[in-house]
Amino acid sequence: MRLFLRDHIPLIFFTIAQLFLVLLIYWLDGYRHLSTALYSVFLGVCLLIGYLLYRYFSYRSFYMRLSAPPKNLDEFTEKTGFAPLATALDELLKTQYLLCQNQLKTWERKNSEHLTFMNQWVHQMKTPLSVIELITQDEDDPRFESIAEETDRMRKGLEMVLYVARLGVFEHDFRVERIQLHEVVHNVIHENKKLFIRNQVYPEISIDPALTVESDAKWLRFILNQLLSNAIKYSAGSRENVTVNAYPKNRAVILEVKDRGIGIPKADLSRVFRPFYTGENGRRFKESTGMGLYLIHEVCEKLNHKIELESEINKGTIARIIFPYSNH
Amino acid sequence: MNKIMIVEDDTKIAELLHSHIEKYGYEATVTKDFNHVLDLFRNIMPDLVLLDVNLPSFDGYYWCRQIRSISTCPILFISARAGEMDQVMALENGADDYITKPFYYDVVMAKIRSHLRRSYGAYAPKMEERIVEQEGLILYPERMELKLGEQITTLTKKEAVLLETLLKRFPRVVSRETLLEKLWDDQSYVDDNTLNVNITRVRKKLQELGIHDAIETVRGAGYRFNVTY
Repeated sequence: MRLFLRDHIPLIFFTIAQLFLVLLIYWLDGYRHLSTALYSVFLGVCLLIGYLLYRYFSYRSFYMRLSAPPKNLDEFTEKTGFAPLATALDELLKTQYLLCQNQLKTWERKNSEHLTFMNQWVHQMKTPLSVIELITQDEDDPRFESIAEETDRMRKGLEMVLYVARLGVFEHDFRVERIQLHEVVHNVIHENKKLFIRNQVYPEISIDPALTVESDAKWLRFILNQLLSNAIKYSAGSRENVTVNAYPKNRAVILEVKDRGIGIPKADLSRVFRPFYTGENGRRFKESTGMGLYLIHEVCEKLNHKIELESEINKGTIARIIFPYSNH
Repeated sequence: MNKIMIVEDDTKIAELLHSHIEKYGYEATVTKDFNHVLDLFRNIMPDLVLLDVNLPSFDGYYWCRQIRSISTCPILFISARAGEMDQVMALENGADDYITKPFYYDVVMAKIRSHLRRSYGAYAPKMEERIVEQEGLILYPERMELKLGEQITTLTKKEAVLLETLLKRFPRVVSRETLLEKLWDDQSYVDDNTLNVNITRVRKKLQELGIHDAIETVRGAGYRFNVTY
């Protein structure tokens, strides 16, 4: 309504000016019937109002649309009416919408091709890795030990790539179920057996075997894997234990991974969940990608878990995963 | 002599599996022609099949169904894909178990053994008891017994594992890391101290048989078994 009025102010002024101009000419010519003159002005104004009303009702949706910004993309394809301007606006918006959609679709296709390629590539890389691992398993030469260590790292790197790729299609790639925490933690610790032993760090578990949480097993394993390898990395050679424990608290279940390593500087603590952020420790330890904690954070958000970090320099770090409403 | 058929398109993996399986006293056949897997199966009639999912021409699921139509022998899938869905697919297509790449020999062998046992009765005669011997000192890892001459002493699980590793590697040094890895079974995560304690116990058990100083500590490297009897 306001936009309509603003749009028609010039027209209103113009019409009224025109009426009075005509009257003025008659006046100067010697015409002196005021009432008739005013009546003609009144008629003119009535006609103007009639025109404005017609105009307003035929273009109502057009003006409404112009003054209310669209809330989503689909509104661009709605019809606004049959008035010429309205159909022209519809055409314009539709064309724009189609162009945008085309570009979007192109990018989406490219992106999914890229992801598919990455997935395939990672799976292909697993075969040579398996060959190397099989070869090294049978030997007991220290050099093979060292090769095995490196392939372990490669495998972890590949896993990471796979999970980053999966994160993009997370919605199709998770299944929440009741999971026995004890069992999952146990399996993940075993997966990291070599890493623990080589770094002279030993795990301790204190989890009630009956304790369950609601989560996706695959992603939970991923989270634990990341947390454990961090814990091992930052307390390597300390001969201290990495403790994994879990306990119910009110309605939540809390899982803690605690190391007694170098800790995280206060300044970095608030930023470790950012992508590619490596911080102080990342510069000291060559292997930091700065992605581990970021990924965990993302996954936790999607699974509706919370993650907290607590750390003190040279004392160690505690990572907590909080599963709300898991305790029954 | 159990026959095992390996259907894996990566020749190196197939070859490595083949040689390892043969070491354990099975007869292994590697498939070369992936268009006629079923014909080969008919020819050799194996007791167990290791089947890769991603094969040229037809995938593993297809061959699994084909084999299932003529035989009920155990079929183990090998695949790089570790998704739950893939495992479900495998099992629905008639497989008995699923091994994901990268895999470990121990896991593969353990699964082969357990499936053969399940399908063909407990410890078939071909499944001879393992014996580790060094100069007359005989270790039965499955019975957890150690024998020298007429004397026999029993061992705990951990002691047996330690001694088996040391005897097998004789006369080389075994690193502490290797021993720790062997000791980490499903129940406990052994640390350095526990390893020391167990080594001491093994030495005591050896003394019971009258063997002294057989396990030598090599500074900075690990332990070595020596024949001192």
